Amino acid sequence: MTLEARNRPVPHGVPSGLGALSVSDLNKNFVIGGAPRPVLENINLTVKPGEFVSIVGASGCGKSTLLRLIVGLDADYSGDIRLDGERVATTSLDRGIVFQDHRLFPWMTLEQNIELALLNTDTPKARRAQIVAEHIALVNLQGFEKAYPHQLSGGMAQRAAIARALVTEPKVLLLDEPLGALDALTRVHVQNELQRIWMAQRSTMLMVTHDVEEALYLGDRVVVMAPNPGRIRRIVEVDLPHPRDRAAPLLHRLKDEILAELTAAPAAPANLVRLPGREER
Amino acid sequence: MSALLSQRWARVAIGLVVPALFLGWWQAQATGGASALAFAPLDSIAATFVELAGNGSLLADMLATLSRSLSGLLVGGTLGIAIGVAMAVWRPLDRVLGPALQAIRQVPMIGWLPLVGLWFGTGQGAELIVVCLSAFFPVLLSTYEGVAHVERRYLEVGRIYGFTPLQRFRLILFPAAMPLILTGMTQGLAFAWIASIATEIVMGAGSGLGVTMQLAQTQQRMDVILVAIIVTAAIGFAINHLFLRLRRHLLRWQAAPL
Repeated sequence: MTLEARNRPVPHGVPSGLGALSVSDLNKNFVIGGAPRPVLENINLTVKPGEFVSIVGASGCGKSTLLRLIVGLDADYSGDIRLDGERVATTSLDRGIVFQDHRLFPWMTLEQNIELALLNTDTPKARRAQIVAEHIALVNLQGFEKAYPHQLSGGMAQRAAIARALVTEPKVLLLDEPLGALDALTRVHVQNELQRIWMAQRSTMLMVTHDVEEALYLGDRVVVMAPNPGRIRRIVEVDLPHPRDRAAPLLHRLKDEILAELTAAPAAPANLVRLPGREER
Repeated sequence: MSALLSQRWARVAIGLVVPALFLGWWQAQATGGASALAFAPLDSIAATFVELAGNGSLLADMLATLSRSLSGLLVGGTLGIAIGVAMAVWRPLDRVLGPALQAIRQVPMIGWLPLVGLWFGTGQGAELIVVCLSAFFPVLLSTYEGVAHVERRYLEVGRIYGFTPLQRFRLILFPAAMPLILTGMTQGLAFAWIASIATEIVMGAGSGLGVTMQLAQTQQRMDVILVAIIVTAAIGFAINHLFLRLRRHLLRWQAAPL
């Protein structure tokens, strides 16, 4: 069913401890009205160190739940999630996450918001300010160090959230529809930033999105999920080097393919049908 | 009108219109007509004010009432914050204390006076206890609400970055609850001020604006009563204003209200 064999060891030549993520035989139920209801069924996925994997699917296919399990906010699942061989049971500084809502603390300045991520790391106190400044520069927010979140635009706040997630240098960064709330122009801009940052850092990234174009533009592979219960329908390889050209014919061909697959499904909800019309610009 | 209101002096002047009209009406009543006995003319009030201010008794009263209110707020507020936080972060305590506190809170401040009087007498200590109680409940309830309802999404950020319980409190729970805690403190301040005057009038121990009012009533000194009332209103207005400014400073991270 999946292209990746489950539990495949980290490929030779790549040093371990760099963020190899493996999800095997993962099942997750929610209890609704006293009866268990499956949200994720038999998920098998391996992400190589330094790889960018996108997950697309209709709303309700459990893709956000999957990220919550991987980051360790929810430990109630059956199956196995391992990062570099170690089973995920709770949150850890090895796994960072960017949520759809930026979740900066409104009572702290941008600088303080980023620095708090370093509180429980062994980074020497003297170096913290410098590391924070570097990450603020990385997401192009110089000059806004002392700004409170309500003084930032949506795109700026989301970039700050990305900086906060990166500052601990997690082995794997999870992105839960990080650009979902942004307007189209800001979105393209932050997508470019994200690609630049990923190319510079080469940490493992796993991004959930409902924007097929975004998934293809950024991902080395795109995992297509089906809803009710959430399961992996297909994994698409995007064999193009980064940085990518949005106009690449391959991207467009794959987009049509994936969209056709998502919309043709009998279980696909009606709200997905609007996607092709919106993308045609 | 709105352009005029953007001027600070204009806002102040507009706020003074009603008091000025009132004073004019008062003076008319006091200087003529059958009801003149029930009013004191403005000049005699002013003279009394000068007299009380001159011999230092007014200042002593003000300081006594102010320090009673503020120490009541300090003690009651601190206890309110401490117990409110404890109840919000530790459910068993909420289960044990919550119902009892909710019931006790229904007793108005004045309702405590007989009991406190029997237990502690009617001295200054008893007055302070009532003031502390009055400040305690609004601070307790708001603090509890604020801490108990901190958004889960912020707490999750704390979990992601491995916050210790102390960090969670210091960096998330307390600042997130701060707007409500300050609302409770503002209420507590008003209650403490009211309770100070009320207990002074009822118990009459020590000095204070309420004590002076009570004494003036027995001496039928309308002018003294009015001076005390005016000073009470002015100080209450001023400390409330100062408190709002402090609040605005502490909550500068919030988007400015439109």
